[in-house]
Amino acid sequence: MKVFRLSQTELDNMVQQWSQNRRVYRPAADRQQSAHADCAPGWERVAGSAPLTMAVGPPKTSVKTFLFPQPETMQTFSLKSSDPDKALMKEPEKLTEKQIVAGLRPCDARSVMLNNLPYREDPFYQANLARTVMVGFTCSAMCATCFCDQVGGSPMGTEGLDIAISQIDGSFVAEVLTPAGEELTAGLDLAPADDTDINALAARRAASPQVDSAKLAALKGRDLNRLYEAPLWKPLGESCINCGACTFNCPTCYCFDVQDEVVRGYGRRIRYWDSCMFPLYSLHTSGHNPRGRKMQRTRNRFMHKLKYFPDRYGPFSCVGCGRCVQDCPVNIDIREVMSDLLTVE
Amino acid sequence: MTNQTNETSETNQTSQTSNWEPKIIAFLCNWCSYAGADLAGVSRFQYPPNIRIVRVPCSGRVSENMIMSALKSGADGILISGCHPGDCHYINGNLFARRRFPLLSNLLDFVGIEPGRINFSWVSASEGEQFADIVKTVTEKVKALGPATRLVKKIDGRQAA
Amino acid sequence: MPTINEKLTEEIRAKAKALLAEGTVAAVIGYARGSLPMTVKPTVVRTADDCGKLVWNSFCVLNLANYLPEVLKSVEPPRGPRDPKPEGPLPKVAVLATGCWSRNIVVQTQEHQVDRDRVMVMGVASRGMVSRRKVEANFAGREILAVEELDHDLVVKGADFEEKINRWSMVRDNCHTCTHPDPVLVDVRIGEPASERKNPNPFQQVDDIEKKSNDERWAWFTSEFATCIRCYACRNACPLCYCPTCFVDDAKPQWVGKSLDAVDTGLFHLLRAYHCAGRCTDCGACESVCPMGINMRMLTKKLNKDVLDLYGMEAGMQPGSPLPLTTYATNDPQKFIVTEAGAVKEGE
Repeated sequence: MKVFRLSQTELDNMVQQWSQNRRVYRPAADRQQSAHADCAPGWERVAGSAPLTMAVGPPKTSVKTFLFPQPETMQTFSLKSSDPDKALMKEPEKLTEKQIVAGLRPCDARSVMLNNLPYREDPFYQANLARTVMVGFTCSAMCATCFCDQVGGSPMGTEGLDIAISQIDGSFVAEVLTPAGEELTAGLDLAPADDTDINALAARRAASPQVDSAKLAALKGRDLNRLYEAPLWKPLGESCINCGACTFNCPTCYCFDVQDEVVRGYGRRIRYWDSCMFPLYSLHTSGHNPRGRKMQRTRNRFMHKLKYFPDRYGPFSCVGCGRCVQDCPVNIDIREVMSDLLTVE
Repeated sequence: MTNQTNETSETNQTSQTSNWEPKIIAFLCNWCSYAGADLAGVSRFQYPPNIRIVRVPCSGRVSENMIMSALKSGADGILISGCHPGDCHYINGNLFARRRFPLLSNLLDFVGIEPGRINFSWVSASEGEQFADIVKTVTEKVKALGPATRLVKKIDGRQAA
Repeated sequence: MPTINEKLTEEIRAKAKALLAEGTVAAVIGYARGSLPMTVKPTVVRTADDCGKLVWNSFCVLNLANYLPEVLKSVEPPRGPRDPKPEGPLPKVAVLATGCWSRNIVVQTQEHQVDRDRVMVMGVASRGMVSRRKVEANFAGREILAVEELDHDLVVKGADFEEKINRWSMVRDNCHTCTHPDPVLVDVRIGEPASERKNPNPFQQVDDIEKKSNDERWAWFTSEFATCIRCYACRNACPLCYCPTCFVDDAKPQWVGKSLDAVDTGLFHLLRAYHCAGRCTDCGACESVCPMGINMRMLTKKLNKDVLDLYGMEAGMQPGSPLPLTTYATNDPQKFIVTEAGAVKEGE
């Protein structure tokens, strides 16, 4: 594994060089608006020479917008009678151009691995994953709402990253972890890290919060039905307004819906994000809705993330980024839900 | 998020061709305006063929969803026409419409939809000539504005982002 | 010396406790402390002992009227969908209400979503609610760990800083221009009443946008809503949005697409704002809950301005009278009517 040492200027130059012949995206500098971005809200295309600096904590929106964007066109078709290919569903050319996401945090990078578990055989997701290079920054400090270590990650983690950059004493130490990362750094004149840098990095790693699997083990051991019938869901469901803010900014919420849209004879089948918070999500064609009440939907989301997903795949479906805690209009805190669940007999 | 850049192809079309004809959706109330339009036809009053008529029971039935849906589908102009106040077949449907309509029209103007795309009129069943005249006026207005490009849904067939 | 809000908190706790203990109400809708600085949790308290968790501060930005219909339903004795209503009066619910929230309760009553006789309005005059976003923007780049509220200042604390800022400067835009801070309905008064606030132009922000050219307004509209992720937090936080099936979920026909297409998103906001025309009290919940910080309130504010200019009505200010759009006047303005050439236009 190659390890390089970079100053802020060298880092910016490197990113600039990448952006010469590839699309490079970074967290949007102005967190509120990205009016002319050609990517999803919260991110922007690297164009100018603004230095790549990271605020503490994860960016506003997660990296899943690059791997399953919304809307994602799955097929197109024409309904014009003059068209010889009328009503034939055609798959658009899958993009193969590499894109680089620079500036994600270990929590977001880990979410990519977690989403990969249910999306193992999803051709769209896999195609996007194959062409995305993740260049991330490890965390030397955690926000008050960060809790990655409680759910299987760590602030200095590198799972899911192609290049992991750590800030040590004013300069940056970049670990190149995968062939995709090596391809990015090949040919660039970068100074290799020396032993002091590598030791400092190792020391930082040892000192930062380690992965703590206590909560995961505890919840896995609990009886599902007991958790399901716990009294904490009623007051939680009462205050929840069932919007989709938590699900859409969450890096590990991966549900989607498929729909056809036709405009003046030309149509497309798109995939867009759906949220289990919406009543339509679980509405059956018969009219029956197994989660017709608000409380049922709120309960379902937490049970999925903290119990159903771990029971099925292993880890929590949560990376501890804290976005839901920050964005929830009614301050439902998944950390509180987790500790409440742990007290259920 | 790439749809904003699609405006250029449509405007090119306007500047090159002077034979673009606007498509105007007209919601006409069954009892007065539709009858008035019928009278215009029977009396052979000429009016531009740009309007496509949708018959509704009352101008008060026209909901903002329908108007926005027409805009979304690419209608260049919209005309909603009902009975004169006091003459509504359902007594007061058009009076409610009269309240609701300026709110919508001002809101759309507020967000940058060109004023003149959405129009509202009173036409009674005996006003065939007036109907023809109003359609002429509205068609000229909309023609001057050019093709609608704002709030027109487009599908480009490519993956977004 | 307890601050104004601390005194109000004590009063709210005491009065809520009394209401519950006496059995006057079956539930009290209020706020509890949040887990983050500058946040509160909306909560429903059903026992007198639980009232200790109620709080009142400058961060109570969510509109509690939003919960009123469902909490009213939840305190009714359980019955099947076809069972008749039980005999006798149904249990009451108390709810904290400032000026705008109480006006929403009026609108809910007018729209038959809420039975006025079953609601005990605990009216408290608002001193303006602080925008968490404004405070965070003021301290951009620095993480806020705690905020202490004084009467006219906020003491903002981080890991390595502590600063005092003026409270009013951090108050939300809609509170800055509010003219009706005192609740219009009061069954139980909390604190002192406030007088109507004079404001030469409460619609200043709308005027600023109206001054722009048509193209500039379109540019404003598209950029303002460019970051919308269609989470519907604005819709769900709004007490006016109670349709069992929202128009976005209509499929036949589908008025508005569900993806992040710019046209669909723009249409969603326009139509939702329009559905609130004449009913919106500018409580600001929509803007406060938006995770992306979108200023969608401008649309409803514009509609409120037009309703006031054209029909002289404000939502929720006249409990006995109908809503602006469920009534009409025989001389309503109709300058917008297209008439045939040569006809005499109104006003000429």
